[in-house]
Amino acid sequence: MEISIRETGGVSVMDFTGNLDTNTSPAAESEVTRLLDGGSNKILFNFLDLNYISSSGLRILLATAKKMRTSSGKMMVCNLNETVQEVFDISGFAAILELASNEEEALAAF
Amino acid sequence: MSENSKKFTILAVDDTPENLDVVKGILAQNYVVKVAINGPMALKIAEKQRPDLILLDVMMPGMDGHEVCRRLKSNPETSDVPVIFLTAMDQTSDEAHGFSLGAADYIAKPVNPPILKARVETHLALKESMDELQKAYGIIKGQKDRMEDELNIGRDIQMSMLPLEFPAFPERKEFDIQALLKPAREVGGDFYDFFFINDDEICLVVGDVSGKGVPAALFMAVTKTMIKTRAMDDPSPASIITRVNDEMSEDNPSSMFVTLFLAICNVRSGACRYTNAGHNPPYIMRYSGGRECLDQRHGPIIGAVEELAYKESATTLSAGDSLLIFTDGVTEAMDVDGALYSESRLEQLLDENNFNTAEDLVNETLASVESFASGAEQADDITILAFHVEQEPVQLQQLDIVIEPDFKEIERVNRALEKFAGENGIPDDIAAKVSIAIDDLVNNIIAYGLDDKVKHSIKINFRFSENQLIIEIIDGGMPFNPFESVNVDTTSSVEDREIGGLGRLLVKELMHDVSYQRLKEQNVARLLMNIPA
Repeated sequence: MEISIRETGGVSVMDFTGNLDTNTSPAAESEVTRLLDGGSNKILFNFLDLNYISSSGLRILLATAKKMRTSSGKMMVCNLNETVQEVFDISGFAAILELASNEEEALAAF
Repeated sequence: MSENSKKFTILAVDDTPENLDVVKGILAQNYVVKVAINGPMALKIAEKQRPDLILLDVMMPGMDGHEVCRRLKSNPETSDVPVIFLTAMDQTSDEAHGFSLGAADYIAKPVNPPILKARVETHLALKESMDELQKAYGIIKGQKDRMEDELNIGRDIQMSMLPLEFPAFPERKEFDIQALLKPAREVGGDFYDFFFINDDEICLVVGDVSGKGVPAALFMAVTKTMIKTRAMDDPSPASIITRVNDEMSEDNPSSMFVTLFLAICNVRSGACRYTNAGHNPPYIMRYSGGRECLDQRHGPIIGAVEELAYKESATTLSAGDSLLIFTDGVTEAMDVDGALYSESRLEQLLDENNFNTAEDLVNETLASVESFASGAEQADDITILAFHVEQEPVQLQQLDIVIEPDFKEIERVNRALEKFAGENGIPDDIAAKVSIAIDDLVNNIIAYGLDDKVKHSIKINFRFSENQLIIEIIDGGMPFNPFESVNVDTTSSVEDREIGGLGRLLVKELMHDVSYQRLKEQNVARLLMNIPA
């Protein structure tokens, strides 16, 4: 899996490519931690090229969402493919995280 | 005896007329006394006149008393007439001989009138009691015969309702079905049935009606007909059983009931839904060697309580799998010492053998039960129905991977699965879901199942045929059911939300079917995905 990070209008956009699972989640977690430590309080998880996400990946998203609540920041997730959307629906994450269908829509909501 | 309205007839036999006169003098007041002066004459009179008792002299010229007695006893017409020997001889050896010939008593000559009267009276009373017993026995036997007739009629109705021709669907190559009902002599009421409700879905039914004879047979016939009628326009086992139960319990004055297992299997997709109403749990034997017990209870026996909503469960039958449905006549078959065949013997039979056809499965199960019973009388009907999904060996693609219990190994599985999916045209989203499931399952197995400090490898087998992908994840760790106690509140807010249990929930929901069993010291988790055509 690859994660690249870019800044767009004050939002840190994390582009995920591949799979977010047991083996790739630790890397994603340290990237998120690095952003938060650097003062970012607006993060967009862009799943445009994400193939799938397992519960290990969900764990990172939940942990990030919790931190954002305490630091009055905001996080969003966009570009979910069908499989990822199904995982979000089953887990209830679709209801507790802020989702956008694409990057443009997400950025407008920050 | 004089007060008795019926006058008994006594035959006195003696070659000395004076002796006959003495006897006559003593008995004539209370009885009709006939006389004979030799053996052949005695036999003739005995057969013609049917006396109620015979007084017989032993010492007679020509045919002696012993011979007369032997002939009387060997003639069915006279065999039950009591014989009292009158003799001057009092040797015990002679008396013993007389008794062995069937004599009722001995009286020494010269006769003592009160003794003769008393003995005659006693034996006539005995004879009378005996006759009454015989009559009562005759009545009982008559009733018993009528009951057996009724049981036979019940049996005829029962057997005539069953589909008995096999192979039942010779034109269908995708599955194979076999059933038998071995009736017990008396108790019974088993039945089975199978029929297509549309082009692809077959309904399988096995039931056991309480009671016996014609009423049970009629109850069974009504149940069977009602099920078929309902099934034709209602493809849900739960709904069929609920409606049949309502109708059967609504008007059931005899309080009969029936236990029932009903499954509807799609012979193309293997999808199978079933409802168990108080019946023995059936078994599924997986092609991979695993055995599952369909032990969910979906409601009570049918015909007892009205307005109950029965439930149903679902599973999937894949190529090479078999479903075995049976009645308690199998598991409760007894040997001569009264021991039961039991579930455990059946399970052992299923575990230790591979049955490649439904016919094999049915016949071997019956053979095992019969060899266990070894001649003990069969107390209940034995019904066995097997449904076997044919294998498609040519189309079956397999991939087996063995990994160390290390998270890093999951990556290797994913790469292998990706390649396998690509080669076999398995859609990307199906492969992605399977990857998620494997990721979460292997994670759980490493975290919970293997903490006994022993290094266990984990086996992952993929099997793909036309429209199904089956994955088995096998580990030798301690017993651990990865699908148990999935209880996640998916509605709580970000603050309250906990992450535990999510993986298991995802696996259960993303896969089309999951199952777990502990088999030969191993955990076998099984996942199934249907591939859309």
